[in-house]
Amino acid sequence: MNEKEKEREEIEKWIEGDESAAEMLSRVSSVRPFVFPPPLHRVPLRVGNVLELVGPSPSAKTHILIHAAITSVLPKPYGGLDHLVLFLDLDCRFDITRFSRSLIHRITRHGTDSYDRTLYDLCMARFLYVRCYDSFEFLHTLRTLHCRLEKEKEVHGVGVHLLMIDSIGAFHWMDRASMFLSQRENNKKKLFLQTVSEAVVQNIRKLLQVHPMLIMATKSVIFGNIYSKASNDVKGNMEERCSKNVTRNHQNFQYREYMPSVWQVEVFYE
Amino acid sequence: MAPIKSLEKEYPLIDTNFQSFCASHAIFSVEDFLLHDIDALIALADNHSASQTLKQGIDQLLSIIHTLHPPLLNGLQLLEDSQRNKHVLSTGCEGIDALLGGGLREGQLTELVGTSSSGKTQACLLSASTVAKHKSSVVYLDTGNSFSPQRIARFVGQSSGYVSDNQADHMLKKVLDRIICYSVFDIYQMFDVLHQLKINLRSEIVKSNQHVRLLIVDSVSSLITPILGGNGPQGHALMISAGFLLKKLAHEHNIAVLVTNHVVGGEDGISKPALGESWKSVPHVRLLFSRDCENNVCNISMLKHPSMASGRAASSTMFL
Repeated sequence: MNEKEKEREEIEKWIEGDESAAEMLSRVSSVRPFVFPPPLHRVPLRVGNVLELVGPSPSAKTHILIHAAITSVLPKPYGGLDHLVLFLDLDCRFDITRFSRSLIHRITRHGTDSYDRTLYDLCMARFLYVRCYDSFEFLHTLRTLHCRLEKEKEVHGVGVHLLMIDSIGAFHWMDRASMFLSQRENNKKKLFLQTVSEAVVQNIRKLLQVHPMLIMATKSVIFGNIYSKASNDVKGNMEERCSKNVTRNHQNFQYREYMPSVWQVEVFYE
Repeated sequence: MAPIKSLEKEYPLIDTNFQSFCASHAIFSVEDFLLHDIDALIALADNHSASQTLKQGIDQLLSIIHTLHPPLLNGLQLLEDSQRNKHVLSTGCEGIDALLGGGLREGQLTELVGTSSSGKTQACLLSASTVAKHKSSVVYLDTGNSFSPQRIARFVGQSSGYVSDNQADHMLKKVLDRIICYSVFDIYQMFDVLHQLKINLRSEIVKSNQHVRLLIVDSVSSLITPILGGNGPQGHALMISAGFLLKKLAHEHNIAVLVTNHVVGGEDGISKPALGESWKSVPHVRLLFSRDCENNVCNISMLKHPSMASGRAASSTMFL
C-alpha cells in the first residue's frame, strides 16, 4: 500500500511538469535573446553560439553583420536588443559611413524624417571596433578582450553580447606560408597555421567562458575554381557546399572540431 | 615584436630564471607567449620550485601585452576620424567622380579592372596630375614603363587656363615635382618601396605641404601574377601581405590607394578580374573599364563598393 502510494506520487510529480508554458517562455526568451532581421530571423541563436556566414565576395555578408549590429545597439523601444557590439575587422575594409547611414535609415523608419540625435549618438557609441592587420594582433586582441569589455560595460552600463569577426579567414594565406615557428622548432612537426588557429579557438573558448556572448564570423570563399560554379548555382545543396569548404579550409576545419556551437550556415545572395 | 630577452632591462621580473623557464617551453618571444596556453603555463609554474616569482613574471608579460593591443574605438570616434581625415580626391574624370560620389576616398583601396588599352593607365595618370595640381604629393609605382610625363603635361595644359607659356611651364614643373615615380619590376621591389614610404611617412609628418595623398600601383597584377601558381602557399601569402600593407598605409596615413588589375577569361568565356578569389577581399572599390573601339568611349561600371550598390555605370570620353 505504502509503496503504491509512493509510486503514484512519483508519477504525479512527473506528470505535473517543471514549469508552466509562460514560465518556460520567459526563461527561453532570456536565454535566447537574439532576434535579428532577415535572413537571420530563422536561426535560433543564444549566448555562447558561434554563427558563421559563408559566401563568395560580394555576397552581402558584411551587410548582414551591419544590420545585426544595428539591431543589437538600438534600445528596446526601437526594436533593438540594448547591447554593445564589438566588431573585429580583420579584412580592414569596414566603412563607418555605411554603418552610420544604415543606422539613420533604421531610426527614421520608426519616426519622422528628422532623426533623434541623442539616440543616434547613443547607438554609435555602443558600436565598438578593433582593426587587426595580422594574426598576432588578432590574438593580442582576443587575449586582452575580457578586461576591455569589462571596462566598456562599466562605461555604458550594458554589456557586449555580440562579437563580430569579419572575416575569420583573412590571414589564412599569410599564416599558411609563415616560417615563424618552423625556423627553430624542427622537432615539433606543427604548422604555424595550425598553431595559430588552435590559439585563436582556445582564446575564443576562454573568452566565452568568462564573457558569454554570441559570435558571428564571416568567411569568404577563397578557393575560386570550385566556388565560381557553386555561386552560380544558387539552389545548390548548401550542406554539401559547406562540408566541402570546411574540408578545404583547414583553419575552419579546426574551428568546427573545437567549437561547441550551432554550425548554422547561411548563404545569402543579392 | 620583441624577444623576451630584450625585455629584461626594462622589467626586472623577467630575469634569467624566468627566461630559462620560458625557453624550456619553447617560448622565446612575445609571439610565442601569445600562442601558448596561459593557464597551462601557470599550472606548470605552480609545480616549479620558484613558482611565486615565475607567476609574477607571467603577470608582467600579460601586462606588457595589454599595453600593445590595437586600439578599441567606438562608432563616434570612427566616424569622426573618417570625416576629419578621410577626404575624397577628385580623379579629374567626371565619369569616375560621379560614379564614386566625388572621387577616390582616402583610406580606401580602389582597383581599376579592364582589358589592355581600356583606359586604366590613362585614369591613373589623370588622377595623379589632378591630385598633384591640388598641391599634394603622389607616389606612382610603375611596373611597365607606362608612366608618361608628356601625358601629364597634356592633362595639366588642358585644364589650366594660363595665357602665357611661361606660367604654364612653371605650373607643369610644380606638378611633375610632386609626382614621385618609381620603376618597380617585381613584388619584392614593391615591398621595399612601400616599407621605405612607411618609414618616411612616420618620420616626416611635419612636412604637411608635401603630404602624400595618393599612391598608385600600375599595375599590381603584373607584379603578383608571376608569383602565383605552383602548389605552395607563398605566392598567395605575398599577395595578401601586399594587400594588407597597402590598406595599412592607406588607413594610417590617410592615403587613397589606386591599383590596376587586368582581366582573364572565365569558364563561360566571360572575362573576370585576375588574381582570383583571395584578392577579391582586398580592394574596397572595384571599377570595371571597357572600351568601345569605334567611338573611343570608355565605359566604367562599378563591380564593388563598400557603401553603394554595384552595377552602376558611367561612360567617359575625357582621356581618350
